Amino acid sequence: MTSGHDMTDEYGSRPGHGPGPQDVDLDRVWTGVAAEVWLRRPGPVERLAGRLLRSPGLARALLTTPSLLLGWVIASAVVLGTGALVTLRTGTPLVALLAPALAGAGIAYAYGPGIDPAWELSQSMAIGDRMVLLVRALAVFGLNAILGLVASAASGAAAAVTFGWLVPMTAVCALALAAATVGRSANVGVLVGLTGWLITVLSARTVTGQFSAALTSTTLTVPYLIFAACCAAIALYATRIPGGTS
Amino acid sequence: MNVELSELTRRFGRTEAVAGVDLEAGPGVLGLLGPNGAGKTSLLRMMATVLPPSSGTMRLLGRDPGSFGPRREIRRGLGYLPQNLGYYPGFTVAEFVEYFALLKDMPPRQVPRAVAAAIEHVGMGDKARKKLRTLSGGMLRRVGIAQAIVNEPELLLLDEPTAGLDPEQRVAFRTLLREFGQRATVIVSTHLVEDVAAACSEVTLMDAGKIVFHGTPGELIAAGTGHGVGDAPLERGYTAVLAAARS
Repeated sequence: MTSGHDMTDEYGSRPGHGPGPQDVDLDRVWTGVAAEVWLRRPGPVERLAGRLLRSPGLARALLTTPSLLLGWVIASAVVLGTGALVTLRTGTPLVALLAPALAGAGIAYAYGPGIDPAWELSQSMAIGDRMVLLVRALAVFGLNAILGLVASAASGAAAAVTFGWLVPMTAVCALALAAATVGRSANVGVLVGLTGWLITVLSARTVTGQFSAALTSTTLTVPYLIFAACCAAIALYATRIPGGTS
Repeated sequence: MNVELSELTRRFGRTEAVAGVDLEAGPGVLGLLGPNGAGKTSLLRMMATVLPPSSGTMRLLGRDPGSFGPRREIRRGLGYLPQNLGYYPGFTVAEFVEYFALLKDMPPRQVPRAVAAAIEHVGMGDKARKKLRTLSGGMLRRVGIAQAIVNEPELLLLDEPTAGLDPEQRVAFRTLLREFGQRATVIVSTHLVEDVAAACSEVTLMDAGKIVFHGTPGELIAAGTGHGVGDAPLERGYTAVLAAARS
């Protein structure tokens, strides 16, 4: 560690660097050079996100989302692609059943202790962790919705099924998010989200005899939305910025 | 005063980690000493606005951290090194420090120069483009210090900052502490009394969630004169004050 200017000699230069003009602060010059050399050039996605979010910090936080990293996105695409092939061959709406589960897992793994290595440090930052969570959750939801819609359309499913899973997906994502934030664990979020979705699918099948009933039944739309709103409220409460008693 | 704490308490279930702490600190270096479980980390986490107090009042940098706007302002002027620094293994040193400079809401134009200055300050210039996963524990600690000072904080909170640093690095770190202490409030939690003796203008000793001593290092040394166990004068003061508090 260095201590500012105490390494410079009477010429204002660093030891061993030879004399320099007295009015040149070589430390300051070096810092300027180092800043230029070490400067990270944000990619186009980060620049776009920075403009949309009006915050370079939030954009950087978005691009470090674990469930938006390339490996995760490729894995999601592979799962949905396989689902689309199975749907084409067997007629089972596998894409529509998988999409909410995948999105729920992605949301649970978007942010939190154990998932974000610098979680403790992030909580002391001016850009609040709730804002980071919100932006990451919306981005994960949006990406999964696009991937799901593409896979669903490719599988040749009926329109009711193609779009039917968007509302249940919202509810599963909200459930996974609420469970992850209350339980302070991404794994808890995934477990609760997937279990909730499985119970819903099996219950609807038991009642109607169809696997796709949880997706296509219009009577479930309002309950799904109310449930999603309740879970979102729980997640907001669980991530409220601690006000303390001061 | 940059730090004003009054009757500050933090409970975890039935355990009272911090029990009615009163503390005021202005510019300078304050050493926070105490045995394991004394409540030092909980107190630092509350001052870092990471952990809400269970009761009591707290003002940081002249603001109330209980409401959103002032808390954001406090965090802009805050530097914090947690006991366990989590890091992104794939980030380089410069990327890591830059990430937190951005999250501290620094003006983007100022970030590259501030990052370079902070990295140079902790002597990591030759490792600036190295991935964090390739660094030793001591180097990671220095990177953690760099992210803490990148915004030239008015309040710098460091939890065990010298853990993993070699003697030469610790000497340089103490110089850095003294330098920051001239213009900011620096609170350092440590087990190493020699760090306190060398760098701190004030020392606070905690035990069982309470402050049992607050004064200058000289006063702590004086408290150990003639009694106490330890090799160094400050250690004798430390043990004497703890023994008195527990009797």
